[in-house]
Amino acid sequence: MIFDQNTMLILTIIALAILIIQLYMEYRRKPKQAKYIPKELVKCRKCGYEIERDYEPGDFISLVKGKCPKCGGELIVKAIYSVKLEERKA
Amino acid sequence: MATDWVSLATQLIWILLFILIFTGANQKIQMRLWSYDIRNKLSVIKSYLDRDRTRVEKQLKNLGVKSPDILIKRAMDFFIIQPVDIEPTDIIKRLEHLIITGDRSFKKMVEQAIPTATKYERSLVETGLSIVGVLNQIYKIVRHYLLSGEKENNWILLMQLEMAMPQIMRIVETYHKSLDAFLTGTPIGDSIGPLVAHRLIELGKIVSKKVVEDTSITELWLDDRRIYVIKAEGPGSNVGRPGRVLYDLVEQLKGGVDLVVTIDAALKLEGEETGEIAEGIGAAIGDPGPEKIAIERATTKYGIPLKALVIKMDLGEAIHTMKKEIYEAGEKALEHVRRIILESTKPKSTIIVAGIGNTLGVPG
Repeated sequence: MIFDQNTMLILTIIALAILIIQLYMEYRRKPKQAKYIPKELVKCRKCGYEIERDYEPGDFISLVKGKCPKCGGELIVKAIYSVKLEERKA
Repeated sequence: MATDWVSLATQLIWILLFILIFTGANQKIQMRLWSYDIRNKLSVIKSYLDRDRTRVEKQLKNLGVKSPDILIKRAMDFFIIQPVDIEPTDIIKRLEHLIITGDRSFKKMVEQAIPTATKYERSLVETGLSIVGVLNQIYKIVRHYLLSGEKENNWILLMQLEMAMPQIMRIVETYHKSLDAFLTGTPIGDSIGPLVAHRLIELGKIVSKKVVEDTSITELWLDDRRIYVIKAEGPGSNVGRPGRVLYDLVEQLKGGVDLVVTIDAALKLEGEETGEIAEGIGAAIGDPGPEKIAIERATTKYGIPLKALVIKMDLGEAIHTMKKEIYEAGEKALEHVRRIILESTKPKSTIIVAGIGNTLGVPG
């Protein structure tokens, strides 16, 4: 069980390299959590005009949200959902 | 000379290792590391708990509560004791009684604190308080096992806790993030059942509508069939009592129902796609028992076919703002339900469709 200095140095370097590789792989394995933002899909009851907007707190599905810019009909919240922030930027 | 020193150091390291192994000190070191890691994670849970508590406190202050601390403290420590299960006779009745009493007491507690708030606002506060209560419970349980393990030098207990911590942290983060949806009122993934039910109501010609025990029953004509749609009364955070209401409705109709369809969100297995739709038999409802058994009893008593449609998602997706994929799956599920009805029943039949889940953000 006698090692010379060079062998000890090489063993230490190998151990450190293994440790660094393992830490890097562990870091890469962790899935990055995507950010989501809430949106609402507003639809005209009369002409079917649709537009996706930012969600306003307190809104709910079927809530009347003003007049349609195209035909003046009632705009209602058809859906509320969250979308990935990256997708929106793209 | 240098080689001698290296040799001596190597020998010493080996001797030290042997001493550690034979005296069990290595386990103590390991225990310290685990304990340190658990403590770090526990402090993360505490920070989530404090932040969420502050947010609920702010919401209560906005609703006019001068000292929200009293209500938060009461709600955080609120509990329901499970019924005796070594004597199973009438356990469902006892469990149902305890759940209803617990639910009513909790609602009353909130109502007394914010009497001027609307039902919708109160429902959001109730769920916010429940989330803070869950986080508080998890925090206290983890702390209990950590302190017990340290006190008794129980490295097996600490090891088990350390191994379970990633799963616990995932649940904690899921609940912590879900508060956003419950404070703003956006539909959550679990709202998909009520959303499909709501879409069905929109498609049909409404004949009558009533609300019983926070649950709405809408009678409508669609595809030449009489359909009763049952869902929790929205758009507040509410799950209603769909099982009990369905049971009573079947009794009122004297069993004259040709088909019962339940629609709910279901927890997906790892690897399954979010928004996957699956059809099956049985009551798709994830309550502790009383609601599910009521549906099973009603349909079994009169021999009514009981079908289930589930939309798959994970726990996070079920209690966070509904993802677009889940909303789109809901639109497909609506067509699926209509197909099941057309395939399984004749014109002029009577059908009950129950949209199960929290109806947050979905009216009716």
